[in-house]
Amino acid sequence: MSGEAVFVSGKRKYVFCGDQQGIKILSSLIERVKEEELLLEIFLIEGGTEWSQLSKFLKDQKMGTYLYVVLPNEYIQKAEEVAEATGFSDEEAQYIGYGEKVTRVYCCRCHGIKEMKNAEEETLCEHCGLELSVSDHYSVYHNAVLGYVAKL
Amino acid sequence: MKWTDNLENFPYPFKGSTYRYSNNSIPMKLPLSVEVTLDYKEEMKLKRNLLTHHPERCYQSLPHTFTGQWEIVELVMEHLVAQYPEKFSLETNESQWIFHNKILGEKHEFTFGVEKSLPCEPLAFISRHVQEDLILMMQRDGDLYLDAGQLCFPANWSLAFNLGMKFKSIHHPIPGFKEEGLDDRILQFLMRIEAGNPWERKNWSLMAGDRLDTSLETFDQWGLLRKQVTKENAGELVHIRVEVQKLFRLPRSNAILFTIHTHLLSLEKLASNPEWLKQFYEILSELPPHITEYKGIALYKEGVLDYLEARLGSGKVL
Repeated sequence: MSGEAVFVSGKRKYVFCGDQQGIKILSSLIERVKEEELLLEIFLIEGGTEWSQLSKFLKDQKMGTYLYVVLPNEYIQKAEEVAEATGFSDEEAQYIGYGEKVTRVYCCRCHGIKEMKNAEEETLCEHCGLELSVSDHYSVYHNAVLGYVAKL
Repeated sequence: MKWTDNLENFPYPFKGSTYRYSNNSIPMKLPLSVEVTLDYKEEMKLKRNLLTHHPERCYQSLPHTFTGQWEIVELVMEHLVAQYPEKFSLETNESQWIFHNKILGEKHEFTFGVEKSLPCEPLAFISRHVQEDLILMMQRDGDLYLDAGQLCFPANWSLAFNLGMKFKSIHHPIPGFKEEGLDDRILQFLMRIEAGNPWERKNWSLMAGDRLDTSLETFDQWGLLRKQVTKENAGELVHIRVEVQKLFRLPRSNAILFTIHTHLLSLEKLASNPEWLKQFYEILSELPPHITEYKGIALYKEGVLDYLEARLGSGKVL
């Protein structure tokens, strides 16, 4: 869900989705696909684009399509959910977030979620006040990492 | 509950003189997903109380799990009736089912496959009749997902957090699990389990106290007892926690049912068996730090070892 887009060869078609900055990040990859004269399509996500439009676009793709999505970190998880719901598996897609990264911490006691802009090892739960130790145990479903009891 | 049955029946988990994580599953001799023990009534009261007052902590499900949930209802009821006919009965007339729990004096009529005919979701319903926690793992895209579960007696983990999670992600916090490639081997093993050939394994940990409901959500309360363990009180205070885990393939949904029956035995009682005392002392002394840490023993391991040494030295059985 982060890192750089990696070219995966041998696909029937390549689909690139992103906002303007995202498509820019993908430009060298797009060039390569063009040079190799492979089938490709670009879906530009703009201010007014609805998730349902992305969903419809992805649903219309055929088997053998490989997907790249590049969006700001705060939207990339939602894009992954939309793509998965239309049937793209982990093996058929790459999701790359850029920009400011928000860490969502799931409180082990009250299940409340705190959004942190700076990476910290410990934080206070905003909902129940528990001191949390921020782990790297990540849930795709909650889009959050688990915060454990920091001190007994 | 603390073990009240004969010690001979306790699911003692150790073999050899060392312990490491492994896939220690064995084919089940008697294919039963659940077991009724002497503590049935007491544990059902505790479980139902937890389910009523902490539903979010104890029960979670995703909407696509209903086929699997009904399969669990069917499998568990069949096992209860077959193994304990004097305690449970089931009358079926096509999809009209009447389940009788004679221990609790309850009769439930429902239409199999029709959610509205039950007071709650099928998995929640059947879980109110068994001591085991019940976890449903759905299999798709070459992976297993924890998509539904009833969990009242967890060994310090959160069902709500783990909902919808893939097998390897669930086990991510276990040190060494991934590095040794165990996560992948166990996942591959689980995905090959076939209907009609269930497997079982035992898992263990130590705990300070004798609560069954050691959820991650309440760790800030029950975890405090870890600080109170001494050589003097370890025998009474510290318990070995053994989970008897069973794995069944559900043929219609292709899901896996994972049942967990938790048993607690005080160190005092464990040490009353001289062979167990000696073996457990050897295993605990040799246990590497990454395992003691993950199993939550690190804080009071010394107190426990001192206690076991004293028991070994005294030669007394009780």
